Amino acid sequence: MRRYRDVVFVSLPIITIALILIPTLLGAIGPLPPIDVRDLAKTYLYFTLDIYNKSLWAASPEAVTAIVWDYRGLDTFYETIVFYTAIIGCLALYREVVRKPDRSKGEGLSIVVKKATAIAMLGIVAVGASTVLHGMLTPGGGFQGGSIIAVAPVLAIVVFSRILVDYSKITYEKAIMLRNLSIIGIALTALAPLIISLGNAFIFQNQVKAYTTFSYPSSILDVFMGGSLWFLNLFEGIAVSMAFFIAFKVLLYTEETSKEVLIGEDYGY
Amino acid sequence: MDIKTIMFVATIVSLYINIGVCIYGVLSKPNLVKKFIALTILQDSINTFMILDGYRLWRAGLIQPPVLLNWSPTEEDLKQFMMRAVDPLPQALVLTAIVIGLAANVFLASVILHLYRHFGTVDVDIIGVLKRVAISEELS
Repeated sequence: MRRYRDVVFVSLPIITIALILIPTLLGAIGPLPPIDVRDLAKTYLYFTLDIYNKSLWAASPEAVTAIVWDYRGLDTFYETIVFYTAIIGCLALYREVVRKPDRSKGEGLSIVVKKATAIAMLGIVAVGASTVLHGMLTPGGGFQGGSIIAVAPVLAIVVFSRILVDYSKITYEKAIMLRNLSIIGIALTALAPLIISLGNAFIFQNQVKAYTTFSYPSSILDVFMGGSLWFLNLFEGIAVSMAFFIAFKVLLYTEETSKEVLIGEDYGY
Repeated sequence: MDIKTIMFVATIVSLYINIGVCIYGVLSKPNLVKKFIALTILQDSINTFMILDGYRLWRAGLIQPPVLLNWSPTEEDLKQFMMRAVDPLPQALVLTAIVIGLAANVFLASVILHLYRHFGTVDVDIIGVLKRVAISEELS
């Protein structure tokens, strides 16, 4: 029986691969490799920083960030909410222990590693902040920068031991509050055009459009700021880094503390 | 068929095979951690495939990278930029996919950890048996 199951499991992917492979090699996804990009891509690339036709531009030379937060900003907002909900689900599983410090009394690694990590952590946070704040100019943005920043607390837990993170100024409550505030910040940045121009604008409006005069600042001195893109990247960066910080903190509890969560199930709650 | 085309087709074929192997891993392996690893590799393979969809052939004579070098670009600069740049849309879609995939991964990892702490194993077959035993004990 088990052997029969294995044969089915092996043959199914092989048949699927063959079925997809034949149309691909016959040219179903166009000429391989493609010489030109699609017309839609050309439109995006052209209008993102078209200083001669500002009716449709995003004031940012980074087409990916412009697509993510301007052309389809609402979609990215919902994506942030999905992320938010997943982390909430993760925390709900550990609801009995999330606020408590861990039981471990480790002293961390040797002094050499500690000093080197202290310097590296500063660098990690700086690189992350730079990725977030330059998201509208170079590849990068809120999520990528936030993920980079979240590496620092994980390193801290491993190298300096759990005590440093448990008794640091960034408590669970503060991290959750910062994350909620930045989600509200994203929502407010999206709704600000509507509020300021008394309903005469679009949600997630970045630059001035036909019939609506509201516009976020497109450039500071001679550097393109991408209008709302900078604010949205900043809030997303804070939200993502705090979310990962909490998630890693919860996942890296010691075995004993984590098992406290399961004791509750014996009493039926 | 020149070498570039062969290499490109080989990349696509290897990604297909990767996706197939990962689906096999997710379906057939009883170990939840192995399933999880196969799932993450599956996600990354599909993301790579989507980025490959926006790729275009690097033509001879183009040595500049696809970035705008001029702060106030002229029409000619923009045209040159479009000549070099790849499709940004798949990259934006992949960014969304990575975020949502990561959220799902964090949740899955915590659920697997929870299951391990509850049942003492990550083998779904054994977990199924243990659950059946627990339910029959409760009913009797």
